[in-house]
Amino acid sequence: MPPKDDPELQKLRKELDDMMKKIKEEQDKVADKTLQDICGDMADAPKVRLTTKKLLKGHINKVNSVHFSGDSRHAVTGSLDGKLIIWDTWTGNKVQVIPLRSSWVMSVAFAPSGNYVACGGMDNMCTIYDLNNRDSTGAAKIVRELLGYEGFLSSCRFLDDKTIITGSGDMKICLWDLEAGKRSLEFEAHSGDVVSISLSPDSKTYITGSVDKSCRLWDLRDEKPKQTFFGHTSDVNSVCFHPSGYAFATGSEDKTSRMFDIRSDQNVATYCPPNSTSGFTSCGLSFSGRYVLCGSDDSSVHIWDTLKNQHNGCLTGHENRITSLSVAGNGMAVATCSWDNNVRVWV
Amino acid sequence: MDMMISNLQQQRQVTEQLRREAAIKRISVSQAVLEIMKYITEHEQEDCLLVGFSSQKANPFREKNSCTLL
Repeated sequence: MPPKDDPELQKLRKELDDMMKKIKEEQDKVADKTLQDICGDMADAPKVRLTTKKLLKGHINKVNSVHFSGDSRHAVTGSLDGKLIIWDTWTGNKVQVIPLRSSWVMSVAFAPSGNYVACGGMDNMCTIYDLNNRDSTGAAKIVRELLGYEGFLSSCRFLDDKTIITGSGDMKICLWDLEAGKRSLEFEAHSGDVVSISLSPDSKTYITGSVDKSCRLWDLRDEKPKQTFFGHTSDVNSVCFHPSGYAFATGSEDKTSRMFDIRSDQNVATYCPPNSTSGFTSCGLSFSGRYVLCGSDDSSVHIWDTLKNQHNGCLTGHENRITSLSVAGNGMAVATCSWDNNVRVWV
Repeated sequence: MDMMISNLQQQRQVTEQLRREAAIKRISVSQAVLEIMKYITEHEQEDCLLVGFSSQKANPFREKNSCTLL
């Protein structure tokens, strides 16, 4: 370890500062208008009318994660009660209950095909279950246990039945080939825990959010990020690609949600609730991208018109922190889960 | 921005990465936002949160009174 006043290190530090300044300058150069300038004349978006159509009871401890299947009908939830539940959100019925080897689940994912679910957490691994094959106890069969993480599994997303991408507390991203049961890629992605991953609509790129306060855009096969987005002043808890593919929304511990535009490389909007008391744990966007929805520590979902930057209201019902939120692929419903042990489907 | 720099190698990598990121092509915010707006407008009619359901029959979450073959 070179001494603090090592001239090479100092030179590199100065270069770093200069680069940061240059990036800011380049961003400012293209910031010719604000969101308000461009969208100010639009008609206000109507008030979102969502109510809890299904109150899904079944978990007996905090529910940490929810994710819709590609069929916009089934959803998987993971809870500290050590279970995954597969729900039919149209009827409210439990389709499958999967007992976990470790109850410390933090993240779940449904493959778009509906054939597999993945979960992981403080067990430092990601387990893949085949919903169409049962083991001797009648529960969905474990087809893969992905090991080797040096931190908790915080996020996972299936690209397809054969590929999954994971983010973890060891600051890494891993891309797994599920057929071979091997990592295709493993690299350090941030300078803090990676807590959220969102795939682009064309599945060629993805965004990561981290406790290091930044978000990064990656090409699927690269180990170096294409872009890094700064703006949040505390942990980024959740990221969500905009359906256009041009931008992404975030939810953060700093009590704001933001819209980052990819091609102009900057934070183009900051969404604040009327009373900034709580951080946002999760976020999602409506089908067109007009609304951003964020689950909050204050037990409600806050909604904003993304273009006019207007708070559109709150969805209330949960009695404790909302931990996760998932918008169905066809945009018809939003699922939320909470420390109150319940899952709600808002339609 | 908080970066943990523990050695020269890492520091060099961080700076190189920033140099790459500084060099990307950026379009104007006005053009970028206009295109996002265009996408949203084009898809508004399919966004249930914006326009609701065309009829109750179109809502798969509705309470059903008669038997349905699942």
